[in-house]
Amino acid sequence: MTEQVGGTVDTARARGLAHPADAPVGHYRWVYLWHWPIRAMHWVAAISIVLLIFTGFAIGRPYYLPAGQVTGEFFIGWMRLIHFIAAGALVATVIVRVYWLFAGNRYERFAALLPVRPSDWVNMFKQIKYYLMIRPERAPRYLGHNPLQQLSYTLIYLVAIVMIVTGFAMYGQANPGGLIRGATLWVPQLLGGMQNVRLVHHVLTWAFLIFIPIHVYLSIRADVIERGGTMSSIITGGRFVRSDEEFIDG
Amino acid sequence: MLMPTSVPWADEESLGSFLERRRVSRREFLGFCAEITAILGLASTMAPQVAEALQAIKRPSVIWLQLQECTGCVESVVRTAEPTIGDLVLDVVSLDYQHTLMAAAGHQAEKALQDSMAANRGKYLLVVTGSVPLKANGVYTTIGGRTAKVILEEAAAGAAAVIAVGACAHWGSVQAARPNPTGAVGVSDIVKDKPVVNIAGCPPIGDVVTATIVHYLTFGRVPELDHDGRPMFAYGARIHDQCPRRANFDAGQFVEEFDDAAARKGWCLYHVGCKGPATFSPCPIFMWNTRTSWPIGAGHPCIGCTERNFWDSMSPFYTRMPNVAGVGVERTADLIGAALAVGATAGVVAHAAATGVHQIRARRAARELPVVSNAPPPPPPPPPSNPEGR
Repeated sequence: MTEQVGGTVDTARARGLAHPADAPVGHYRWVYLWHWPIRAMHWVAAISIVLLIFTGFAIGRPYYLPAGQVTGEFFIGWMRLIHFIAAGALVATVIVRVYWLFAGNRYERFAALLPVRPSDWVNMFKQIKYYLMIRPERAPRYLGHNPLQQLSYTLIYLVAIVMIVTGFAMYGQANPGGLIRGATLWVPQLLGGMQNVRLVHHVLTWAFLIFIPIHVYLSIRADVIERGGTMSSIITGGRFVRSDEEFIDG
Repeated sequence: MLMPTSVPWADEESLGSFLERRRVSRREFLGFCAEITAILGLASTMAPQVAEALQAIKRPSVIWLQLQECTGCVESVVRTAEPTIGDLVLDVVSLDYQHTLMAAAGHQAEKALQDSMAANRGKYLLVVTGSVPLKANGVYTTIGGRTAKVILEEAAAGAAAVIAVGACAHWGSVQAARPNPTGAVGVSDIVKDKPVVNIAGCPPIGDVVTATIVHYLTFGRVPELDHDGRPMFAYGARIHDQCPRRANFDAGQFVEEFDDAAARKGWCLYHVGCKGPATFSPCPIFMWNTRTSWPIGAGHPCIGCTERNFWDSMSPFYTRMPNVAGVGVERTADLIGAALAVGATAGVVAHAAATGVHQIRARRAARELPVVSNAPPPPPPPPPSNPEGR
């Protein structure tokens, strides 16, 4: 039996305890936020990053295989092939994302990369306090990404770019006279040798492994609490918001 | 093996007639030319051209400076594998100055250097092994009371070409590793006005030195160089891409410890610290000691000695990854990364649990609150325009 939640309650009193989940009744509107290139880019990047993590660890050291086990005649070879193809896909998503910084809507453009107004920074700290459960009431709401999301997604973009640059610096070694090698020679020079390039590439993998559980969790959590279809917004492009709700960037 | 002889190569005599005088057969000479042509990566059809050019050359003058170094590079070059004619031409006959190999010593040796530089100004080949210390005005290496920097600058000024042999002359090698107490630098840090060929390696393979000099004598210019001044014919491919154990790498067959079964089977040394994937060198092809073996062939991982700053950037030599500076030897990057990822996941789980508790408490509280109005919801407002956001 589904729980019936109806009528109007004294929310001012309820807020003192904790914020309840939004009651899934009332008047909602559907807001279209993410155009298909952004959604496609998200899922291609998600799949390729997962593939890159698994194949990357397999190339570096197959932790999840017993030491010295014969794993097939071309195991690392296949891992590298998948790694390089997924890397190409990730580069494609970067190109799409950069293009959509110019072509996208206000939630997808440059201004959505970082909190710019001082009030956005204040709201970001309110959001952090809300997540840390220091402040039970909900932080100021945004239709697009809130400032904390903007900052963390931009940081993960930067991580991806560093991964691509360091990855191609290593990849280019196979063809010393080639274009990729020539275009990435500055990378080992900047980082103090190819071993440091390898180290940076390896360590930053963990940035994804830290980002992914938090990102997936907070997305699901927002969907559960707001009941606005946050999760489906990265599939359909839009989400439901209450008609009477005010948004900072609405 | 051709030994030094009492029949010297006369100044205006061509190499061809000199070799004839030394009773070197035409077959032997062409064999040498074919080998050098192959080492230089030229088409085999170029061998007659190399032979023609080489037999016409006049006696070249080679001055070999040994600065701050261990003489290992000289040891390597005098063990040049096959080109015995190369030995003869380059190590024995043409060396006007090489203070380890030459018979003269002291003032006599220094006079030979001055005489040769004066007589062959602008024509001699300058080979340098060893780094140049710069701290404390260069007092860490002096020969005949003069510092390495002064000697090198003077010799380079009159040289036709400068060949820096070995990691010391390339960038300073072990004495330039942190903290570089003597301020050691390579030849190309001092000689800026003419091309410096870096024969990288600690020590480099002697054949590469010989082939570079033959290239210069044959074509009158230094071979094509990479971004770090190393000849492309030798340093144009990665050890990893030429390695006979590459098939084991691709198959995921790795040595994990030096005495394990995989090591005895000759599997890939990547996990015990092989730097072949970041090292450009012809070791797998040219090999060492008359093409007997080479480090990976003998079961030892490559330490990356042809790369700049390898003592710092390629160490520790027996682990695949560098240590994270300032954190300690044991705490490797993976430990920190795994700890953070596990911490993030644990935090997520704890946060989800806390959220659940909040939700249950909030809903219970909301249900207990009096409903102040049971009136039906107001009529829906007109649907707002769908903000595209543009």
